[in-house]
Amino acid sequence: MKVSAVMTPNAGRFVRSQQLSNLQFALLLTLPVLVFLAVLMAYPLGYAVWLSLNNIQFILGQPDIEFVGIGNYIAVYQDLAFWHSVAISLRFTIESVVLAVGIGLALALVMNAAGERSVLLRTIILVPWAVSLYGTGVMWFYLLSGQSGIVTTIFQWFGNDRPPNLFSPTTVVEFLAVGNAWNMAPLIAFFLLAGMRTIPTRLYHLAQIDQLGAWGQFIHVTLPPLRFTLFVFVCIATMFSLKMFDYINIMTRGGPGDASTVVPYLLYDISFQQLELGYGAAMSFYLLALIIVSTLLLYFAWGRYEEAA
Amino acid sequence: MMSRRRSGPWKLLAISVAVCWTLLPIYWLFRLSLLTPADISSFPPPILPAHPHPGNFLNILGFDYTLVSGRVLHASGQSRQIILGLKNSLIVATTTMLLTLAVVVPLAYVFGRMEFRFKNALFMSVLFAVAIPPVSTLIPFYTLFVALGLSGTRTGLVLITLTLTIPFVTWMLIGYFRNLPPVEKLAAIDGFSRLQTLLYIIIPMARSGIAVAAVISFLFSWNDFVFATTLVNGSDATTLPSAASAFLFQQPEPGHMAASVILSLIPAALVVLFLQRHITEMNLVDPVR
Repeated sequence: MKVSAVMTPNAGRFVRSQQLSNLQFALLLTLPVLVFLAVLMAYPLGYAVWLSLNNIQFILGQPDIEFVGIGNYIAVYQDLAFWHSVAISLRFTIESVVLAVGIGLALALVMNAAGERSVLLRTIILVPWAVSLYGTGVMWFYLLSGQSGIVTTIFQWFGNDRPPNLFSPTTVVEFLAVGNAWNMAPLIAFFLLAGMRTIPTRLYHLAQIDQLGAWGQFIHVTLPPLRFTLFVFVCIATMFSLKMFDYINIMTRGGPGDASTVVPYLLYDISFQQLELGYGAAMSFYLLALIIVSTLLLYFAWGRYEEAA
Repeated sequence: MMSRRRSGPWKLLAISVAVCWTLLPIYWLFRLSLLTPADISSFPPPILPAHPHPGNFLNILGFDYTLVSGRVLHASGQSRQIILGLKNSLIVATTTMLLTLAVVVPLAYVFGRMEFRFKNALFMSVLFAVAIPPVSTLIPFYTLFVALGLSGTRTGLVLITLTLTIPFVTWMLIGYFRNLPPVEKLAAIDGFSRLQTLLYIIIPMARSGIAVAAVISFLFSWNDFVFATTLVNGSDATTLPSAASAFLFQQPEPGHMAASVILSLIPAALVVLFLQRHITEMNLVDPVR
């Protein structure tokens, strides 16, 4: 192979054409996919834009369509229920992200301390990742809800017949976030573990010479190389929590009352139960904007410093 | 690191807490799937099933089961859908996985290791696709698929799931590809074309990353609930999650619900366990830096 490359009469042109073809090669590999994605995504998005500019009502099963321009967007902006759901979504997301990343880090430290050979432990810790969101919803519902929950059993041991209602309006979002974190933490833990594995042990020896305690080692040796991975997963967890629908639908259906009505749930209720398709579509673009703005904020406040490092 | 003797008990405690935290919700539901109807309604909820029995699993797969007490648990009316769903889920998830891999590996390679014009713009469009919430594309997708005759088909479900898996998995793999050693120049000197470099050098080197991409895309598809309940619910293309949703909403049956969730967890967990060791090699950061 080597010989043939050297023997090529047009060796000079070979190099030049290679430089030229960087974009071409990239497009060759990516363009079919990007076109496929664009077509498959552009139509629904375009359709959603059209929906959002119209007022659509169903009269005897027949859609009655009236063009209202940005009227739906203004109506969403003035809708108190919408802003309430934004607040719930942000609360759910921030709690989910902090818990998922914190628990992920803790699980990674446990797996790292347990050593290379603890395959069984790693296997067990990874399992929640295989559980679907609806499965997570079902599991945590039965684990925590009053009639069937473990809390009720434990309170009964101590002779207390009236266990606390974990799904009360004041705490429901917190318990939703715990279940969500349970589902997301294993993947984060494994990627962090992969990062920890690359830290040379001599750094820990040096840290011992510098008389750093366990906490100091964690802060100055373990954490720095993990920061980029942490940033990536904070972004992923933020996006997924803001989009979260099926899990909340199964756990609480937005309740009690509207205490856990996150934006995707409100959206579902408006579009699928009340069939206000135009209004729902307009709201979905607010949600998309919320997701993009949150991610960009994370990038500008944190991510751009990590990439350069 | 710390001496073994000093860290021993704490390490054991940490491991026990991690295992309990991980397994408790799964155990609680598994226990529910083994309870008799009488035990389910007993108060307080029992920690251990007093009379464990496989009836719920047999019921959802279409068999009757007679309890020791003589009571007959009848096969669920949903069993045909469950078995169909199991089969369809396997087909849809495997297809989605293979198609995602075929598409994502070159895509992530190009984004991770090549410099070219429009790279950032193209990359941003991939990220944008990750950000789109499924709830907002659901109605447009539904009308589109009805018009194209794709609603209630496995093809439609695969297509729609690809719009989730391709952007997300690409995003995950880019960092991984960037960290592979720089072999392209050497390969070019040896006369490999770009495509040969990708096929014969990069892909074998990137085994772990590709394995993880495979699991992620399989799980995305296997566990999809929103699109499945909208597009294929009640049809011959129903998947396991959409078939199981009947136990939640239409005819609430906790035992059957629990059994179907545990049933759907088994293949997913097997896939995860099989590829577990690769995930610990997914480092996103350049180890040299």
